[in-house]
Amino acid sequence: MGSRYLGRKLGQAVMTIFAIVILNFVLFRMMPGSPERLLHNPHLGQEQLDALRTRWGLDKPLIPDQLIAYLGATATGDLGVSIKFQNRPAIDVISDFLWPTVLLIGLGEIVAILVGLTVGAYAGWKRGGAVDRVGTGASLILYSMPYFVIGMPLIIIFAAGLHWFPTSGMSSVGISRLDFIGQVIDIGKHLVLPLTTVSLGLIGSYSIIMRSAILETRSEDYMTTARAKGLSDGRQLRAHAFPNAMLPMVTIIAINLGYVVAGAITAEVVFNWPGLGSLTVLALQERDYPVLQATFLLLSVAVVIANLVADLLYGFLDPRVRA
Amino acid sequence: MTAIAVSRTSVRREAWRLRLRGARGFVRQFSRRRDGVIGLLILAVFALLAIAPGLFVGSLETATTATGLQLDPPSSAHILGTDELGRDMLNLTLHGARISMTIGFLATIITVVFGAVIGIVAGYVGGRTDALLMRLTDFFLVLPTFVLAIILAPIILDLIGTDAEFVGIKATLLVIVIVIGMTSWATTARIIRSQVLSVKERMFVDRARVIGAGPGRIMRRHVFPNVVNLIVAQTVLTFATAVFTETTLSFIGLGDPFQPSWGEILNAAQGTGAPGLGAWWYIAPPAACVVLVVLAFTLVGNALDDVLNPKVRTRR
Repeated sequence: MGSRYLGRKLGQAVMTIFAIVILNFVLFRMMPGSPERLLHNPHLGQEQLDALRTRWGLDKPLIPDQLIAYLGATATGDLGVSIKFQNRPAIDVISDFLWPTVLLIGLGEIVAILVGLTVGAYAGWKRGGAVDRVGTGASLILYSMPYFVIGMPLIIIFAAGLHWFPTSGMSSVGISRLDFIGQVIDIGKHLVLPLTTVSLGLIGSYSIIMRSAILETRSEDYMTTARAKGLSDGRQLRAHAFPNAMLPMVTIIAINLGYVVAGAITAEVVFNWPGLGSLTVLALQERDYPVLQATFLLLSVAVVIANLVADLLYGFLDPRVRA
Repeated sequence: MTAIAVSRTSVRREAWRLRLRGARGFVRQFSRRRDGVIGLLILAVFALLAIAPGLFVGSLETATTATGLQLDPPSSAHILGTDELGRDMLNLTLHGARISMTIGFLATIITVVFGAVIGIVAGYVGGRTDALLMRLTDFFLVLPTFVLAIILAPIILDLIGTDAEFVGIKATLLVIVIVIGMTSWATTARIIRSQVLSVKERMFVDRARVIGAGPGRIMRRHVFPNVVNLIVAQTVLTFATAVFTETTLSFIGLGDPFQPSWGEILNAAQGTGAPGLGAWWYIAPPAACVVLVVLAFTLVGNALDDVLNPKVRTRR
């Protein structure tokens, strides 16, 4: 891969992350209840105020001193102290809630990519056929549903009605007494409905976009060649249309990640899934700004890195964009 | 060479005739799109409900004016059942239409105006301005804007004050409008800009510049009318996402319990534990409305986009 392409994409990602950190700095100064506001307390004497200002570093100018102090703290992983969780560092709180979200979004993406791309490819390939009509109709409806609107009926039917799966949480009470296999089964049972929710939410948009990407390839010259060579219908789709339609999907899946995060937040709330989404909503209710900000920082950086990976992957898969 | 005397009125009449013909052609083409027409019918019903919910179900029921038992399943007295305070679900849902649609509408206006101005300026002015604005746009496209919206909400509430009110909408909901506007203009800006880039290379823009029109005038009188089709289609599609985002933000607790939108009703349902209790009637009406409205706007928006921007259509 061209080193110029690599360098440019890396540079862009670093700039974006830097901008996110700066945005976080600015937002932090504007938050109601920040130290700046506390200083307006009329019961504090001038001496105490000055002492507090010096202690918090507020006696120094906002730029550059405070900004540099903030950048330094952020770089060393000091993201402030949680208000809700007994003054634990925000970064520790977040890492407790990180893995359930990674599990949910990761598996959800895999299922959605497999199902969504397959449905979309067949719908686009046999345009106007049964798969296209049912699949595209269902995709449009799913695309119009917020994740929690998908999740709530699932709870009503499969948890409250049929009792097949638990209604909420990630594990049963007393899971630690089970052996390893028992624990996996227990978490798996809790995972089924949230995972279905996230996957269904994603399948709609993936299959719609894949369908138009496949339609796009059909008028290309290489498809005419494939037909002229006498390849079977299935081989034309699998070996020629599908790989080419996959190219734009790589970028779209990465860009989409920002929205998946939003969707996963509401899905986690519906199922009481102990991940970053539930944490975000809890922090919002408790006005725990340090945790809220740390979550925003972590999620934004994760999305930027995912986009960088997609760009590099795209450059690797399609030599034309490396120029 | 004979000079043809053209009176001002005849030019105007001719312009109107052309416009009318264009409108007729548009109506004919749009009415052929079955999905678009169905979407439009759904929207007409919801628009009626949003304008005058009181005509159908009386004024919004509160905890003190509740008419039924608590969390009562559908019956002849309450055909959609009641919530945990005994309020009639039909009443709540129809009044929710007004709040959801109004917030969606205001948020859409902010988003599209912001996106269109940035798109047109970036595309027409070009150079450093373009590079700077597009960097900003890309930044907002990549960012998980939903989480940013959650962080911005308390800041904006602090800035506008809790007493602010606009067309009967209280501060909490105004915050949602502003937050949606601030975080979702980027897509519109990108789409408009790419169209402006091709419009500004056309001959009439050069002609306008040659006879001395300034950039502001060219953007308003020559570039804008040529991207207005795109803006219309984009507005309808933005409406869909605005209602979607409003529902989601209200659901996680940024709504106003005293002005319940559909998302706020669903938030209350979640808070009561309605899904686990199997109280489907508390969830189905607002949820169905959200899905129907978002779907309808998407269908109409796609149909409009195909009819108004034929390039998309001929490519296939």
